[in-house]
Parts: sequence; structure tokens; C-alpha cells
Amino acid sequence: MEKKPKMVSMSKRRRTVNIISYITLALISIVWILPFIFLLLKSFDVGNPGVTGYVFPEQWGFDNYIYLFSAETNFLQWYFNTFIIALFVCVIQTAMQFMMSYVLSRFRFKLRKPLMNIMLVLGMFPGFLTMIVLYQILKTFGLTGDNAVPGLILVYCASSGMGYYVSKGFLDTLPKSLDEAALVDGATRAQIFIKVILPLCKPILIYTVLTSFMGPWGDFVFAYTVSLGSQAGMNVAAGLNSWLSAANIGAHFAHFCAGGVIVAIPVMVLFLFLQKYYVEGVTGGAVKG
Amino acid sequence: MKQYSDLELLRLSRSQKFGYKVGLFFKRIPLWFKNLGIKIWGFIKGIGLGIFNWFKTIIMTFIQGDWKTKVSYFVMGFGSIARGQILRGIIFALFEVVFILYMVFFGGHYLSRLYILGEVESAVDAESGTIVYGENSFNILLYGVLTLFFIVAFIYTWNLNIKQNRISEQIIKDNKKLETAQDDLRAMVDKEFHKTLLAIPTIGILIFTVLPIFFMILVAFTNYDANHTPPLNLFGWVGWDNWAQLFTWTNSDGASFSMTFGQILLWTLIWAFFATFSNYFIGMLIAMLINKKGIKLKKLWRTVLVFSIAIPQFISLLFVSNMFKTDGIINGILGTHIDFWGNAILARITVIVINLWIGVPYLMLVVTGILMNIPADLYESANIDGANPWQQYSKITLPYMLFITGPYLLTSFTGNMNNFNVIYLLTGGGPNVQEYYGNAGKTDLLITWLFSLAVNDSNYKLAAVIGIMVFIVVAVLSLVVYNIIPSTRNEEEFQ
Amino acid sequence: MARVKITNVKKIYSGNVVAVHDFNLDIADKEFIVFVGPSGCGKSTTLRMVAGLEDISEGTVEIDGEVVNDLQPKDRHISMVFQNYALYPHLTVYENMAFPLRLDKNIRHYELSEEERAADEKKLAELQKDPVKNAKKIAQVEEELEKGKAVKGYTNDQIYEKVTSAAKVLGITQYLTRKPKALSGGQRQRVAIGRAMVKDCKVFLMDEPLSNLDAKLRNQMRAEIILLRKRINTTFIYVTHDQTEAMTLGDRIVCMKDGYIMQVGTPTELFDMPANLFVAQFIGAPMMNTIKTNLYSKGGKYFVKVFGHELEVTGEKGEMLKKRNTPDREINLGVRPEHITFARDKGSNSFPVTIEVNEMMGSEYHLHVVTEDGTKLVVRIPTINLSESEREGMVMGNKINVTFEGKAMHFFDLETERNILVDQENAPEIK
Repeated sequence: MEKKPKMVSMSKRRRTVNIISYITLALISIVWILPFIFLLLKSFDVGNPGVTGYVFPEQWGFDNYIYLFSAETNFLQWYFNTFIIALFVCVIQTAMQFMMSYVLSRFRFKLRKPLMNIMLVLGMFPGFLTMIVLYQILKTFGLTGDNAVPGLILVYCASSGMGYYVSKGFLDTLPKSLDEAALVDGATRAQIFIKVILPLCKPILIYTVLTSFMGPWGDFVFAYTVSLGSQAGMNVAAGLNSWLSAANIGAHFAHFCAGGVIVAIPVMVLFLFLQKYYVEGVTGGAVKG
Repeated sequence: MKQYSDLELLRLSRSQKFGYKVGLFFKRIPLWFKNLGIKIWGFIKGIGLGIFNWFKTIIMTFIQGDWKTKVSYFVMGFGSIARGQILRGIIFALFEVVFILYMVFFGGHYLSRLYILGEVESAVDAESGTIVYGENSFNILLYGVLTLFFIVAFIYTWNLNIKQNRISEQIIKDNKKLETAQDDLRAMVDKEFHKTLLAIPTIGILIFTVLPIFFMILVAFTNYDANHTPPLNLFGWVGWDNWAQLFTWTNSDGASFSMTFGQILLWTLIWAFFATFSNYFIGMLIAMLINKKGIKLKKLWRTVLVFSIAIPQFISLLFVSNMFKTDGIINGILGTHIDFWGNAILARITVIVINLWIGVPYLMLVVTGILMNIPADLYESANIDGANPWQQYSKITLPYMLFITGPYLLTSFTGNMNNFNVIYLLTGGGPNVQEYYGNAGKTDLLITWLFSLAVNDSNYKLAAVIGIMVFIVVAVLSLVVYNIIPSTRNEEEFQ
Repeated sequence: MARVKITNVKKIYSGNVVAVHDFNLDIADKEFIVFVGPSGCGKSTTLRMVAGLEDISEGTVEIDGEVVNDLQPKDRHISMVFQNYALYPHLTVYENMAFPLRLDKNIRHYELSEEERAADEKKLAELQKDPVKNAKKIAQVEEELEKGKAVKGYTNDQIYEKVTSAAKVLGITQYLTRKPKALSGGQRQRVAIGRAMVKDCKVFLMDEPLSNLDAKLRNQMRAEIILLRKRINTTFIYVTHDQTEAMTLGDRIVCMKDGYIMQVGTPTELFDMPANLFVAQFIGAPMMNTIKTNLYSKGGKYFVKVFGHELEVTGEKGEMLKKRNTPDREINLGVRPEHITFARDKGSNSFPVTIEVNEMMGSEYHLHVVTEDGTKLVVRIPTINLSESEREGMVMGNKINVTFEGKAMHFFDLETERNILVDQENAPEIK
């Protein structure tokens, strides 16, 4: 008889705690979702193209989207540029990172530690330091301005071997006896890499492809520098950003929002499908870092 | 100070233990420096010894080698070809030819001008009125450095060629068979597969990271700025002049570089600290809330947060930045006219808060992964021992998390120091103030300042100085923290 | 099917850590050799050097008369079973077992069928009309007639044949289409063995293959390995830390400690005449008891003084002592727990002990006892011969009488711990 009221109070307490938790989570979700709702709403605002203080537009319409696909802008060109860049980058960058991480995870050679240390030190320099020089190098080969797309691909990919950490962390967890078994079974190192290791790396491969595909969509600095002054060579980030300069923002903010929605949709869809792999990569990478 | 054994230490109270450990830490500093000194000395000695031994083997190989080897000292690959290893020989010889051609027709000139970075100025031709370009300091520096790299590569290859000769001679002496071209090709996908794989990534890093960084380090010792921009103007070596600016407190034309640097460095560190730890703890809190027993729809809550990672930052950040403008949505909803980006303190607080919105989802994922790895029986046993939720958190969850995420916290701290996107896209560094040098603003980090100095002001020399300073700060911080945190684990442990 | 000769092999890791010292062993064709020892004794390292997974710092390894030091693992004609199975998780059981066969690109000769032979001969006659021009082709056809048809690698049919027959032997046919993840530990082990079996190999290496299995499965698999060995009939090198496996499987056992070989011999030799105290205590369970005492001769007979009694050394050991004319000396006397027997009556050679712990094993008691002078001993007493009251007496604190026979004694030097009855001039320091 004594126990019963206590149990009730405990379950009651648990219920209140849960209710509070749900309310908190709901609030958090709203805070995180709200800016996207605002962005979406603004993109349908045809009344006032500048920055506005209201939430719901007075005049609704698709004009902002129609504008994006009209001949007045280079948006389609930017979009296409970014897509091409992202496509190449996700293939090349993934390949480079896996070559590097496979070697560092599986081979023991004299220069291994020095190589890792050098890359660690290089990573401590701010990346933009290299920008000025890279711009000049690319300019010498005519890969700036209108031809910025191949130039940007080169810039994103060339040093990507340095980002080997996450995939190496994953490779390190694959038992070495697999390699050894394959070696005894008569495989060459190249065959081991292709036939044994790569098939096992599917989750982290997808993670790497996903992140390297997403990178070019958001990069502003290099894209802006390399494509300097050329509308045809810009990616979406540099292009859309040009609409937010003090001179343009009054007329183009709503266009920016519409463009943002168009850019975000494919990336988001891809992301939601591959979320599982992304989460695996993030958690694994941080722990093994 | 009294030395305690590990067992005696157990009897001390927490504060005594802390005091003892702090004392011990300071007591160990001289030893630490001594060890560092020994390490550095050993390193230098090792290099010296290495060079000495290298010379010795080179000379000994020449003396003891047969004529084929001797000729190879001058004609690379000769020995290999003479011994029937045609493929190797041709590659060596080809490399030598390319090197010589490069030096004669290209690199030699730039290398010889490297010491002065050019003297012939551009001038306007009096008759035609067109500009006659002089020497290009930028190209001299860039290609000079490239040539230096090439020379190092040549010496390495030359040494490889000598080594090949030595090994081949030994193999012939032992009556064994030399590797054929087929063996070499087979080794490329088997025994030497790592070299094949590394070739492209390392060349990429060398040209697109090492070379530019080397170049920029050198730029920090030149007067390369808006007034000295090739191809119209020359720039030249100025020694430590740019660095001296870091320590000159007064400046004739207004704001001093050193003061601005100090202020911005301080803000960078404050920002990195708050950005890292606010994300860390709030991310952990939300992760624990979602993972709590009895909470349903876990996947939904997680997905909602992860949503914000999926959207390219430049869209979300630029939009949010405009939300906080005086005529933006936030003020519209509140019915106020708060100038979030105009007031220094308000702007700083706002960027830290908005950064939560960017960073927390990511942290939440990281923490969720680790939380699931904490053995459940730890909590069960704590429950039996009578620990309340707070005690469970502070005695089990937090220490475990800190141990596992130690290195991650460090990298995210340094990452935040260089978090260009958030600051640049939100505030552009503003609000800009008069007392700062070079149009820097109150929320500028070193990295965004570097960017605006280089891109807007073409002040490359000081951008280079800042870049190097960022490196030094990050390097020192990493070195110290890595030596303190316990979770620097052995990488072989996992295998 | 090959002889394996390991000569002066050493393994030195960076930092001058020596994992294996001067390992010498000659393994006969079709012999089953077991490397046994505690963890860290270098047994796995030695095996891995034979396999080519670990560089050999010094010395040579020969397989079938060929020095294989510089050969890649795949060129050494070996098969290997790993401790954690090392199955490829992304491949089915069938593909796992077919993996080595698919990679094999060696040329093999098969006997020609009647028709093929006839066709070849006809072709040869045709070619010989112009022997100068067709010289190359003639040589080709002649070689085919002589050696048989040359085929590179295996055809799919051959692979299917080999894999399914191996699977049948191991009883895993119904799992061939599954992935390793869907198998139990024992089944995975069978697949791993199967993968090693299908390959043509001269030496079959097994690195602690049973240590990841539970006790019951381990016993079962042990028996199966004995059967497998009969079927494959090749040279085996088997690494284990379990002395039972070593005793039951090995033709010869190599007992190792800290990188040194302690003793090489048949299981009987190791059990009956251990070269030193380490081997004596490593082989056999529970561990051999030692009693520090005196060995002395009296009237042509040898005696040891045990707890106040004089026990005569009888049997083979007594003869050997006599033959060697061993001087009186202090020794460590070793007696296996199973050789100490329960004495019903207080006879002349029995001595009283106090029971400290009694472990009931079902068929026998393992008694941890203390003698009157404080020496601790372990005694194994079969329960079947004990009466009801005697069993009741086997409780903590009770006193019983035990004794042991003179022929069950082992004698070890106090200093070197070596068996004084085994000649070992070049034996390494044990401590």
C-alpha cells in the first residue's frame, strides 16, 4: 500500500519531464526550421524585392523564379557551372582522398610519418594564403575569368589528398588480416585495394562523395577570386552573392531567395537520402579524428 | 615540494590534489624544455649526420663503382641502360634532359634574379605612348621558388640513380637477376603500390599547397602591396620590416597595425572559445534530450536539425544576416529597430548566437554517436549506487565525452579560429571602426582580415604576415594542448 | 607437400626489440607441427615470417628446397587460416572460397583427350611441311603434345567443382550463397579453412584458428582438423596457445617462450621428459608441482627427501640417474598433480596434507593442499575410486594422506631450471 502512491508519483514525474522535453524539442525545431520558412516565403514575394520586415508577403507569385530562368540573368549558367564543378570534384576528390588514406592506413614505409606530419603542419596555414598564388598560376594557364570552371576544379582537387583523416579513420578499423588473407590468396596490392578494401568502404565512400559534392555549392572565396569579373565563370555562391551588394540588394533580394531555394533543393534531397551515411561519417570521423 | 607516490595521492582531498598537480606541472616545465632542447638538438644532429653519411656513400660509390656507375654520375640512367634495365635508364635520362632544358631556357634566369626580384622598371615609351613592361617581380619570385623545388627534385632523382647503380652492382655480384622492366611495372601495382597511389596526390599538394605557402612566406619579407604590384611596378626584399610593424605601437597615419592585430587576435581567440564550447555543450544537451529514454520520434527531431547542414552555408548565412538587419524580419516581428550589426558588442553576441544555429546540428550528430558508445551498464551501476541524473552526467557522461572528443575539440577550436564563412557572410567583419588598421571591423577574425587586406587593399605583404601569425598561433596551441590532453591515442591501437 | 626448413631466423623490430631469437627447425614433408607458448612468445611472428607477412630480419626460410625470404606470400605456395577468420565481408561464402582460385593465373597442363591429340598430330604434320617457317608453331604444338594442354588459371567449372567439393567436406554447402555476417563462429571458421583448402599449397598455416570459438565448438573443430589433416595430407604449421590443442594435434610440438625455442619434440616427449621447468609447467593441466629438495644416491639407488620421507627414484628416471652417475645435489623436484595419489592408510611413503580448496570437476577432484612444512601442492584425485565417506572427507580444512611414486618424478636444476636428465648444451637461458 505504501509503494503504490510513490510509483504513481514517479510515473507522473516522468510524464512531466517528457512533456517538458517535447516542448523544448518542438521549440528547437521551430527555431531551426524558421529561417528556411522565411526564405521560402520571401522567394514568393513579388511585391517588394528588397529586404523586408514582414513574414508573409502581400503579393504572391512565381515572378522571382521566372526571373531566374529568364535571359536577364546568368543564373542558369552559374547553376550549370556549379553542377559540373561538383560532379568532377566529387569524383576526383574522393579518389585522391582514398589513395592517400589507403596508403597511410595500410603501408608502412620510411616517409610515412614525415608525410603525415608535413600535411598536419600544412593544414595549420590558413587556406586563403595560397589564393593569391593560385590565382596567378591559373591565370598563366588561362583558367580564370570565363574559364574559371576547370580552374576551380583544379583548385578544389589538387590538394584534396590532405583531407584523408576521416577515410583513414575508417580504413584503420578494417582488420589488417583481411589484407593479409588476400595477400596469401594471391592478390597484388592493387587488387586488394580494388577487390577487398574499396567494396568494404561503401559507407565512407558515400560520405566522402556527398561532402565533396556539397563543397562547391557553398564555396564563395575561391569561386569569387578565380572567376573575378566574369559572369560566365561564376558558381552559384559567387553569383548570388553579387545580388546582395549594397547597390543590388534593393532590387534582387527576393531573387536571391528564389535562387537559394533552387540551389538548396537538389543538395537537400541528396542529403536526406544519404543522411545515414553522412551521420556515420561524421560520428566516426570525430571519434577517430 | 613533497613528492607523493601514486598511492599516497589517493588520500589527498580534491583541492590538495589539484594544487599538487599544478605544482607538478610547473615543476616539470624546465624538464619539458630540456627535453624539447634535446629533441631539437637530436633532430639537427640527425640531419647533419644524414647529410654527412649521404656524401660519404656518394663518394664511396663513386670510388668503388665500376665505369658504368661512374658515368652515371654525369649521364643519369647510363648504368641502368648499360646493365639492360632500359626502361629505368630512359626515365632517368629523360628527367635529366628535361631538367637541363628547363634550367637553361627558363629556370636559370629566374633563379639568378631571385636575390633582387628584378631591377628593370616598367616605363612608358616616349614615342608610341605604350607601356614597356620591365621585369615581373611576381614571376621571378614564383618561378624562382619553383626552380628551387625542381632542383631539390633533381638532386633526389640523381641520388636515386646513384643508388640504383649501387644496388644493381651488388645484385650482379651476388649472381642474382636484375629486375626487368616487367618486374618494375608489376611492382608498381604490388610491392610499390603505395608510391603509385601517392604520386598524384603529393604532386598536387606540392604545387597547389606547398609552393604557394612557400611563396607567401617569402612575400612576408617583401614590400608587395598596392604600390608595388607587378607587372607595372616592382617589389623587392625588405627583410624584417613588415614584422617590425607588428611591434610598432604608434603609427603616423592613424591606426597602428600592431594594435589592430592584437585586438583582432584577442577577439579571434574569444570567438573560437565561445563558438567551440557553446556549440559543444548545447549540442550535447540536445543530443541527450533526443536520446533520452521515452522520447519518441527521435529520427524526426534529428532530421529537422540535420536539415540545416544540408543547405549551403552561403544561402542560409546570407539570408540570416539580412534577417537581422534594421529593416529585417527579426526587427519586423519584434517591432523594433535594433541595429544588430552596427553595435560592436551586439554584433559579436549575435554572431556567436547565430553560429549555434550553424554548428549545433553537427555537434549533435557527433555527440549522438559517442553517447551510444558509452556502455549502458555504467549508468545502471551508477543508478544502483544512487547517483542522481546530474551526478550521472558530471561523473560519467562528461568525462567520457571529454576524453573521447579531446582531439576533436582542439581541431574545432582551431577550425573556428579560421571560420571564414560565418563571419564573412554574416557581418563581412563589420562594424568597421576608425581605430582599426586597414578597414578592419569589430567582428573581423584574423582570417577575414587577411582576406580583405589581400583582396580589397592588395596589401599582400601584411596578409602574408597575418597568415604566418595564424599558423604560429594554431601550431603552438595544438602542440601544447596535444601534450596535455590524455586522449592522444596510438593509431595502431585500432588495428 | 614440402619440407620447410627454418635456419637461424631472427625477428628484430625497430628499436632493437627482438621478437624471435635464432629459430632453427626442420619440418619434414607432411608433418603436423604445432608452435605453442604463452602470448608474446614469438610463435605467431615465426609463422608470419614463414607466410611472408612479416619480414625476416636474419636467417633463411626454405620451402621445398627454395629460399623464400624475398618471395611474396602469393609466390610461396602456402595457405593460411587466420585467428579472426579474415573472411571478406562483402563476398558470399562461395566467392570467398573462390577468391584465391580466381586470382590464380598460373599455367597448368591438362592431359589431352583422344580427339585433341589426333587434331594436334594432324596439325603438326601439316606444319612440318615447312619446318623453317613454322618453327615456332611446331614447338608450341610439340609442347602441348608432350606436357598436355596449357590453361591459364581456372575455368568457372573447375572453380565450382573445387569449391563445392571442399564445402561438402566441411559441411557448409547450404551456406555457400550467404554472406559471412549471416554465419555463426564455427561456420565462419569452416569457411576460412575451406578457402585455404581449395588452393594448391605446399604448406598449410594456421594461426590460432580455434581461439575465437567457445569451448564446446573448439573441441569439435579440433577433432575435425585431425580428420582434415588426413584428407589434405600436406605439411601443417599450427600456432596455438592452448596446450591441449598442441598435444592432440601435433606430430611434433615446438614449445616457445620469449622468442626462444624451449623444446622441440613429440607430445609424449614433451610430457614425459620436459627439457625444463617452463615446458614441464606449460604442458599438462593443472600445472606441475615443484618441491625444492635433495637428490642423493645410497647403495646404487637414488632417493629424494620429501616431507620427511625418503622416496626412491624408480623406473626409467632411476636408470638414467644411475647411468649418468649423477652426483648428490639440490634440485627442484617436479611431480604432476595426476601422479600424486590419495593414500588410504598412513603408509611409509605417504605424508599428511591439509586441504585448502577443493575443486570438484565431476570425474575428479582438484585439491589445493598444503603440506606440514607449508609447501603448496595441487593434487588430482579421480572420484571413481573413492568411497562415500572418503568423498565427504575431501572438504576444506580436513587432513588427508597423499603419496607419489618414484617413477613420476622430474628433476630440474635450481639455477638454470633445466631438466638434469636432458642434455642441452646450446639451450638458451630461460630466465
